[in-house]
Amino acid sequence: MDRLTLVLWIFDSVTGLGLLLLAGWALASPQLFRGIILFVAFSLMMSIAWVRIDAPDVALAEIAIGAGLTGALLLAALSRLGDSEPTQESMNRPIERSYRARTFRSLTASLLAAVAVALVFLILALPGDSEGLGAEVAASLDASGVSSPVTAVLLNFRGYDTLLELLVLLLALLGVWSLGGLPAQPVSPAVLVLDTLARILIPVLLLSSAYLLWAGTHAPGGAFQAGAVLGAAGVLLSLAGWQVRQRYTGVTLRLLLIAGPSLFLAFALYTIVAGQSLLEYPPQRAGVMIVLLEVAATLSIGTTLAALFVAEGPRNKEGQ
Amino acid sequence: MSSVPLFALVGAGLFCIGLYALIVYAHLLRKILAINVMGSGVFLVLATLADRTVNAAPDPVPHAMIITGIVVAVATTAFALVLMLKVAEKTGRAELPDERTG
Amino acid sequence: MEALAATVSWDACLIVLPLLGAIACFAWPNAAKKLALGTALAVLVSIASLTIRVTAAGAFRHAVGAWGAPLGIELLVDGLSLVMLSATAIVGLAITIYSAGYFKADVSSRFWPLWLFLWASLNALFLSSDIFNLYVALELTGLAAVTLTALAGSADALTAAARYLLVSLLGSLTYLLGVALVYHGFGSVDMAVLAGRVESTPVFWAAFSLMFVGLALKTALFPFHFWLPPAHASAPAPVSAALSGLVIKASFYILMRLWFEIVPADYSTFTNFLGVLGAAAVVWGGLQALRAKRLKLLIAYSTIMQVGYLFLAFPLAVAAAWRGALYLILSHALAKSAMFLAAGNILYCAGHDRIESLDRIAQRLPMSLAAFAVAGVSIMGLPPSGGFIAKWLMVEAALKSGQWWWAVTLVLGSLFAAAYVFKVVGYAFTQAEAPHTSIDVPAAMEWAALALAVAAVLMGLIAPWILASMEIGRAFPGAAIP
Repeated sequence: MDRLTLVLWIFDSVTGLGLLLLAGWALASPQLFRGIILFVAFSLMMSIAWVRIDAPDVALAEIAIGAGLTGALLLAALSRLGDSEPTQESMNRPIERSYRARTFRSLTASLLAAVAVALVFLILALPGDSEGLGAEVAASLDASGVSSPVTAVLLNFRGYDTLLELLVLLLALLGVWSLGGLPAQPVSPAVLVLDTLARILIPVLLLSSAYLLWAGTHAPGGAFQAGAVLGAAGVLLSLAGWQVRQRYTGVTLRLLLIAGPSLFLAFALYTIVAGQSLLEYPPQRAGVMIVLLEVAATLSIGTTLAALFVAEGPRNKEGQ
Repeated sequence: MSSVPLFALVGAGLFCIGLYALIVYAHLLRKILAINVMGSGVFLVLATLADRTVNAAPDPVPHAMIITGIVVAVATTAFALVLMLKVAEKTGRAELPDERTG
Repeated sequence: MEALAATVSWDACLIVLPLLGAIACFAWPNAAKKLALGTALAVLVSIASLTIRVTAAGAFRHAVGAWGAPLGIELLVDGLSLVMLSATAIVGLAITIYSAGYFKADVSSRFWPLWLFLWASLNALFLSSDIFNLYVALELTGLAAVTLTALAGSADALTAAARYLLVSLLGSLTYLLGVALVYHGFGSVDMAVLAGRVESTPVFWAAFSLMFVGLALKTALFPFHFWLPPAHASAPAPVSAALSGLVIKASFYILMRLWFEIVPADYSTFTNFLGVLGAAAVVWGGLQALRAKRLKLLIAYSTIMQVGYLFLAFPLAVAAAWRGALYLILSHALAKSAMFLAAGNILYCAGHDRIESLDRIAQRLPMSLAAFAVAGVSIMGLPPSGGFIAKWLMVEAALKSGQWWWAVTLVLGSLFAAAYVFKVVGYAFTQAEAPHTSIDVPAAMEWAALALAVAAVLMGLIAPWILASMEIGRAFPGAAIP
């Protein structure tokens, strides 16, 4: 074992141990606020792990979505909960402190420890030579229209999964709106720092989003990472107290939300009527079509994520 | 030796830690955090093993699957949080009823 | 036109059309009701055309994106998926017609896109042959089901929805962990490819156990049933019909597919254990249904009991038992949604569903009460209903394979069902002391419930045709009974 390998091995072990500790700490933390901050730290450490296991695309998605947006969503929810929840104290305790509850907890813990040990043995017992589908992807990459293998899988080979996934996102927003949305946050007086930060960061975020989208065809990046960064820009704008004008929250908003799924579905419908396989790309035009789909998907993902954060529900009457 | 299976083991651990918290803690926000930790654990198992073949590019299929999974996770988390707020609004507590009484 | 009908892939239409309908309902909320009814008809045409094609030309696989497994995702249309899709289409149409009258204007425009999403995701699930794609379809189904449950808006419904959401997410994550192990053990997520590769190794059994637990949670198999009664009882009536009739069958369907396609051999300890859980579900569900004070809660507990029957097919392990289980899925889908729709009518009319105060509902809503009673015939398993055929097949399988104790369970279940159905019907004819006000129920809502109930009974009369359709493209595992 040469020195570099040893250093990396130690680094990985520390990262792995850190992940376990942070997760446990985040979940057991007596204060929810601290728990959320620790969870964000956990997600950032996850992205280091993704880099270490050669998954840069996932690392980008983890930073933007796992740490950034999920963290913002959790904190926003906690602050809204604080308003309606005077008894903060009782929220943090485990179910009960009685003898019965303690027995239940230790039983659960030992059972799960046994499951963990079993899983560890199984993972160690997995065949070391399993090839996966790497070779197949490489063989068909030229016909996919893009040169980044992950984008090829997401938009072409398993594009149908991605279509359904876009719909999960839209459905989540529909669900939030159907719950009646949340009352608008009181408009805080413009905080100078936040306002300045927004002015500087928004252009940077928009540029990064465009770059990630463009890069996705040949390098790590793509519609989901770009959309997440776009959504982050929306979150920042909303935090800085910007209000979207009424006339854009009706039809325009709806169109942005459905652009990605609709274009995907229109493509699906075309292939059905033309008697082809579902979502079959014409080989020469696959590259162009994937870029078009990704642009629409990025817009929809960004808008949906931002709308999920704002969570106010449509303001126009017809959308009740 | 390749350090790669290490993260799969961590993933298994995260799954179990998350599951424990999901069962034991009553507060819905904590349960939602627990689900997210479990999800990260599953994704680690899914990805880590993709990188086992030495000197070859990692298998991109699990990576694409994880990106799908991360997006599904953020969507469900966002919905779950609003649902939690609505439960708190109606019942006065962000907990599920029978777990409050034990 | 005929040329188009021949080339169009109707299976893909079953997924794409309701999704387009859902998005259209979201974009034009004012026209949502008409759009949804149009979508329901389009889905009906698609399933009819698909049935004609499959009956004539046999089962087929559809390579999405023309890549084919293992690189791409494949859809699979055979007798099994056809039965599930047809049940979804029939129940779906009835729910659509019913909901057009049930929801008030403000809830209505929120309901339609969610409902079409649910329908599309069920269709996607029944068509998929790819275990990761099934995970995405499961998440879509679960999320749509939870959002629909929460639509009722009451404190009960919201807490039930929150619990349902957590259970649903836990179930899909556990399933996904199993998928991850399968992928790394055998290098594919396509069922047909896996069928050729899977061996009976510890890794496979661990992966299968994880997938099984995740799916059993979502199917509400005893003792994982705790989330079901509050959710199914507090959701709006048409949603309860979809949840009990269709959604829990979706995860059971995946379980059945995995069992048929990739699980290498039967292990009698494991299958007997499943049978015991199934029997426990029958007894527990039956007792709780008898004790229930509210009509919708009673129907929800009856669902737990019916799920128990399905798991008896594992230890019976003969082809006839699987035919019976599938027949039960079909007839229960129709009968149980009819019951929930009828209960919805009673709630709509009387404003409550307390069983003891169902005074003279027989006079005020004769058709809905008839729907409940007729559906009860199938739930009890009396001839000539679909439920009777299902139980007959299973009881016969139990007796001929020398496992009489499962037959006893099945008969015991029928006795429970008879007791709780008669309890409701009895109170419906009893006159309460104080007269209650009532609201008129739209005729379409009464007809929808009755039509489903009658269909559940008539299913017994076309048994040969349905039994033949079930086995297009695959024979059920296990020995044929001489």
